[in-house]
Amino acid sequence: MSVSAILPDARPANVMDDGATREIRRAVLTAIAVPGYQVPFGSREMPVARGWGSGGLQITLAMAGPDDVVKVIDQGDDEGVNAVNLRRLIVAATGADETTVPAEATIIQTRHRIPEDPMHNGQVLVLQVPEPEPLRGVERDTRELERMHAEADYARLWVSLYEDRVRNGVITQTTGYPCMVGGRDGGRYVISTTPIPRWDVPRLHRSAFLSLFGAGRAKRIYAVPPDTDVEPLTFTDVPFEVETTPGAACERCGSSESYLVSIPASDAAGPAVERWVCSDTDWCRRRSESQP
Amino acid sequence: MNTPAPPVLTVSGLEKHFVLHNVDGRRVEALRGVDLVVRAGEHVALAGSSGAGKSSLLKCIHRTYIPSAGSVILRRSDGTEVELLDLPDHEMAALRGRELGYVSQFLRAQPRRTPLEIVVRAAVQRGMDKAIADEVAADALTRLRLDRGLWDVHASVLSGGERQRVNLAAGTVSPPRLLLLDEPVSALDPANRDAALELIAGLTSGGVAVLSVFHDLDAMERLATRVVVMADGRVVGEGAPSVVLPDLEVAR
Amino acid sequence: MTAEWVLSVRGLGKVFGPVSDEVIAGTGPEHGSAKYGPTGSVVAAWGVNLDVAAGEALGVIGESGSGKSTVMRCVVGDLEPTVGSVVLRRSDGSTVDIAALDPAARRALRIHDMAIVHQNPVDGLDLRITAGGNVADRLTAAGWRSFGEIRTRAAELLDRTEVPLVRMDDLVRDFSGGMRQRVQLAKALANNPSLVLLDEPTTGLDASVAAGVLDLIRSLLDDLGIAAIVVSHDFSVIEMLTTRCVVMHHGRVVESGLTDQLFEDPHHPYSQRLVSAARA
Repeated sequence: MSVSAILPDARPANVMDDGATREIRRAVLTAIAVPGYQVPFGSREMPVARGWGSGGLQITLAMAGPDDVVKVIDQGDDEGVNAVNLRRLIVAATGADETTVPAEATIIQTRHRIPEDPMHNGQVLVLQVPEPEPLRGVERDTRELERMHAEADYARLWVSLYEDRVRNGVITQTTGYPCMVGGRDGGRYVISTTPIPRWDVPRLHRSAFLSLFGAGRAKRIYAVPPDTDVEPLTFTDVPFEVETTPGAACERCGSSESYLVSIPASDAAGPAVERWVCSDTDWCRRRSESQP
Repeated sequence: MNTPAPPVLTVSGLEKHFVLHNVDGRRVEALRGVDLVVRAGEHVALAGSSGAGKSSLLKCIHRTYIPSAGSVILRRSDGTEVELLDLPDHEMAALRGRELGYVSQFLRAQPRRTPLEIVVRAAVQRGMDKAIADEVAADALTRLRLDRGLWDVHASVLSGGERQRVNLAAGTVSPPRLLLLDEPVSALDPANRDAALELIAGLTSGGVAVLSVFHDLDAMERLATRVVVMADGRVVGEGAPSVVLPDLEVAR
Repeated sequence: MTAEWVLSVRGLGKVFGPVSDEVIAGTGPEHGSAKYGPTGSVVAAWGVNLDVAAGEALGVIGESGSGKSTVMRCVVGDLEPTVGSVVLRRSDGSTVDIAALDPAARRALRIHDMAIVHQNPVDGLDLRITAGGNVADRLTAAGWRSFGEIRTRAAELLDRTEVPLVRMDDLVRDFSGGMRQRVQLAKALANNPSLVLLDEPTTGLDASVAAGVLDLIRSLLDDLGIAAIVVSHDFSVIEMLTTRCVVMHHGRVVESGLTDQLFEDPHHPYSQRLVSAARA
């Protein structure tokens, strides 16, 4: 039995007070108004540890109500322990319904993935961000970071991409790939697309849905509104590439066109063959079921 | 010369003294009022004992020394005259090389350049076309008998005599209107010295005004159209080499 | 003849602490100090005028504390002068008073129009990245976005400053002092600046290494026709690189002139001391 069932109020569990709700909503509105800008907010103590999705959770709690349907995934999996716990908490605190099917959800809170299914207009993707600062790797001084964003001085980010390519032959950055929000020419702020892999980055570009990034520990919220250009920082002569493993296919549904993750080889004796499954478990399940 | 050419250089009442602030403010007199004129095509050699003020005079004209009083007027190639003592530093710097050259005993440190580059560069700086400068520079180095094998090595490896010839070649290619020569052949052996003097002689016939300091009378005899004798910071006599030099020889 | 100044500094003054007529009158070479006792004010620089034209190198010579660094920091825009103007002429012919710019505009100026080579490579380079990456920093700041073009340009610059191309992808941390200065030069020249400031570019290097770097700088200045300011306490550096220079002492310019003239016929007592010390 869920907590909401035994409490009469629409917002039954008092996880977040009205003041916090209002503050976060204001921060979200600011973030939407200035795409890519990291809006500071007073991150509250949550029943989950910071670094475990507290930023995303606060956004979802501030937005969701009984009319909402919430999907929560962790590494693309609705049944991950963390996803289950967060989903229970959100449902209990807001009276929202829950689902695993992306098309049914009004809010999808995620760590690491964007669902394989296309999302539609009106849906909100809430990302749990571990490190919101795209410049963290090149600068640690807070005031200098502020200056760099204020002046759109991203030269050192480009240098780090240059260095990566020179030293490794390819761009090796996996999650958190830096993107200019608003496009190469019209853009203003570079964001970190943490925690999603490069695979999912193109889905943010001119998306139908609204993306909200919440970083609990760093106390920052930023947004990519629908229909907004999101351009990965790439050299004009080095195309942006997503991760692929030639020949790999999901061993459950057979997909080779979804984001795959390798699973540990079984302990049974035998040749060490790399095994792959879809990261998006709900998508994988539906695909398996629809096949003969 | 039948009709005297207009003076390229007119020095009048030129004085120079040094104040040595760190030696009790001692005052040292170098020039005590020098008047001198050098015309186009003239080679005026300064004679006199060491300390007479010959080099100081050249340096005052070149503004390596700042004269204390007097006037140094240079007629530029466009016919206009300019008072060098009043000229702002940057204009003086621009004038140097183009209108007024100074060839010392020493090659100014540019060890990374090859002799050919140094000479070509000097000609180009005086407005000569690069292609012509290449030819003229090669010609000058040939006439000064600099071994062709040394033309493209760094000048830092050259001997004193070789450097002096490079310096002379650089100072005289596409020559400026007024050339100040301060012992330009002091380090040369007789054969090379002879070649250098011949090159210098050619400058005057090309219309360049030369004011020189040589330590040997032979060079003066060969080159000078007029000798100006200095002593104790003053001009004490002047005349044709054939008239003045024998007296100097006796004095020596 | 009107010279086209690339940089024109007029009436530049920088005073730390209260400033008044007494403070100015009570400091300087004749008082033997830049500090005014009664108020504790330090007149780091006062009444400084400098002009540098394209293709010309101007020397600023003085001991530490003479005010030469203060003047340079005002030119670069790191310090706001108390009085005076610092006007830079950009390659498009427009002029701008650096002293009146906001920090972002100043930073933009330092990307496109002027460059600094620091005495200490750590101040001008990121030692944790490659030589090419350090040059790429200036290029990406100026909007270069083609990896291939950045590589080509960086290689060209490093070659021009005599960094062996096999070392282009090595970390600058592993470079010798002389090689680091060459990387700094390549970085400084990346965007064809109108003005380059060389701040004690060879101080701290071994004599033979310093000679090589000086030679390189000299040939770069000769070939590129940019305006340069060379700051040094070392007369031989000034003599090698510049045609004109100023001597600073206790916050004031005590003498200015053609470099050979300052070296052969210095007038101010302090200049004479400097020259005789240099010749000793």
